[in-house]
Amino acid sequence: MPDNIFEIKDLSFSYGNNRVIDGLNLKIKEGKITTLIGANGCGKSTLFNLMTKNLKPDDGIIFLAGQNVEQMKLKDFARKAAIVHQYNTAPSDITVEKLVEFGRTPYHTMGLSPNPDEDREKVKFALEITDTEKFKNKPVSQLSGGQKQRVWIAMALAQDTKILFLGEPTTYLDIRYQLQILRLVKRLNSEFNITVIMVLHDINQSLYYSDEIVAMQNGKVLSQGEPKEIITSKLIEDVYGVTLETGEIDGKPFVIPV
Amino acid sequence: MISTRKKILSFVLTAVGLFVLFIFAVNTGSLKVTPSELFSGLFIEYNPDVATIYDLRFPRIFIAMLGGAATAVSGVLLQAVMKNPLADPGIIGVSSGASLVAVIVTAFFPSLFFLTPMLAFIGGLIAFLLVYSLSWKGGFSPLRIILVGVAVNALCTGLMSAFNSATGSSYTGVASIVNANITQKTWDDFQTLAVYVVIGLIASFFVTNQCNLLSLEDKTAPSLGMNVTRSRIVISVIAVLLASISTAVVGAISFLGLIVPHIARLLVGSNHKVLVPYSILLGAFTLLLADTIGRTVASPYEISAAVVMSVIGGPFFIFLLRRSKQNYA
Ligand SMILES: Nc1ncnc2c1ncn2[C@@H]1O[C@H](COP(=O)(O)OP(=O)(O)OP(=O)(O)O)[C@@H](O)[C@H]1O
Ligand SMILES: [Mg+2]
Repeated sequence: MPDNIFEIKDLSFSYGNNRVIDGLNLKIKEGKITTLIGANGCGKSTLFNLMTKNLKPDDGIIFLAGQNVEQMKLKDFARKAAIVHQYNTAPSDITVEKLVEFGRTPYHTMGLSPNPDEDREKVKFALEITDTEKFKNKPVSQLSGGQKQRVWIAMALAQDTKILFLGEPTTYLDIRYQLQILRLVKRLNSEFNITVIMVLHDINQSLYYSDEIVAMQNGKVLSQGEPKEIITSKLIEDVYGVTLETGEIDGKPFVIPV
Repeated sequence: MISTRKKILSFVLTAVGLFVLFIFAVNTGSLKVTPSELFSGLFIEYNPDVATIYDLRFPRIFIAMLGGAATAVSGVLLQAVMKNPLADPGIIGVSSGASLVAVIVTAFFPSLFFLTPMLAFIGGLIAFLLVYSLSWKGGFSPLRIILVGVAVNALCTGLMSAFNSATGSSYTGVASIVNANITQKTWDDFQTLAVYVVIGLIASFFVTNQCNLLSLEDKTAPSLGMNVTRSRIVISVIAVLLASISTAVVGAISFLGLIVPHIARLLVGSNHKVLVPYSILLGAFTLLLADTIGRTVASPYEISAAVVMSVIGGPFFIFLLRRSKQNYA
């Protein structure tokens, strides 16, 4: 039984009077792929922002490997967890390689690197594994959506962390690029033992690629567990408010989304 | 995409241009010397012409170059912090805040003269804080910054002219700041300027990486371990220092901090590790060019470098505003 890398206790957060996260409790296992699912507006992105120090909780504590995240320095956190945000922009003339090099920032002091060789090695690794090396000298602005997404993942990988957060990594991508990203995620997890925590909107992809599903509703965790244990027509109805058939192919659960 | 070769070429050509302009500026006026006379007069044997030029023209030339470099880098840094390519220490009121304080010190507390640069810096900071806080509404709208800046700028400039007139324009020190006149500058002025500008420019090299990270989405920089608020403050303070010190000695130069970074970006790209050093070179070149033009076009009368910059910069600014409609509004 693997250890919990994240432990969240009684977490609450409001935007003004709008309580978005409401006494949420959650444990996330180390070395697994965990996917958050839930209706639009149920608080997935907010939970992500709280877990990654972009927002401060009103109440409750988030532990990363036993350490209170709120008390960690941004830099220390950035050496432990990397995040690919949902929206990204870069200057129009920056090249893929230069952008991926930004991923090394958490290891630098005053803009200077104590170990340039290690930087080069990690950047090279990140470019290779995301298959972006072939256009490393191209400006990011000239790439397709799917290529860009891989470049942002490469930047996060250059951070050399054991945890990777992905905020809706497949949104706006066509099915080929979606699979490319999800297969990459799977590989990062199985070959390099990176803990992945992501948000997906496609239920079947969530079921297929995740070790754990966390179903959220109104700022709380409704249900958590392995895909085939938790996925039922009732859960889908509770989470999304629609009735769908569930089935199984080769022992893997799926939902008919029509 | 700009190739490395093109970037190097830009550096080399600008450096050569600056050198040629320097020789030309040294020889602009009633006294003339050849480069070899100049060299031997400076380093080998005494030459009365060279000595006169050394005392009268050199300080002004070096001051123009330092002031230009400082103002240009200040513009680059402000643009990075405000994510707004139209931010300029002159337009957003930092320079006039600094010169207002410099004018008050010169007019009413002449004994504090030696503190002028530091006090001007404080004046620049106050103006900057005013613009920053008044134009922040959960984010910066490029146009709001400019509008608030114009108002702060007008207020400070108005107060300054009022002081100048109310004292019968009798303080030449005041008038020279108001009019950005660098004719009478000495080696002492140069020293004052040089100390602070060199500190500011060195500091700016240490924040180039942070400037680059600020150009990403607001959430991305903290994810890379950068404390964005602290970086914004540090970069702003350096920018205001550079603009204020330059203003205290050279006077307020509008548009330079806008035009130079803009051209620099076209030539060497938006990576601040290259942009900052190149802006130093191009800034020095541009203000020296403005000063030299001011000395030659209406000779024996002189037009101040600030006026030349305004005449060239005004139309340029309108051009940028019109073009940026699509990109930044
Ligand atoms: N910056 C904000 N200011 C105020 N309210 C916000 C802000 N961001 C989100 N909200 C509100 O908080 C609630 C949860 O939003 P959140 O973005 O966390 O949902 P989500 O689960 O990620 O939704 P989606 O699937 O659409 O991405 C929503 O009701 C939203 O309107
Ligand atoms: Mg969301």
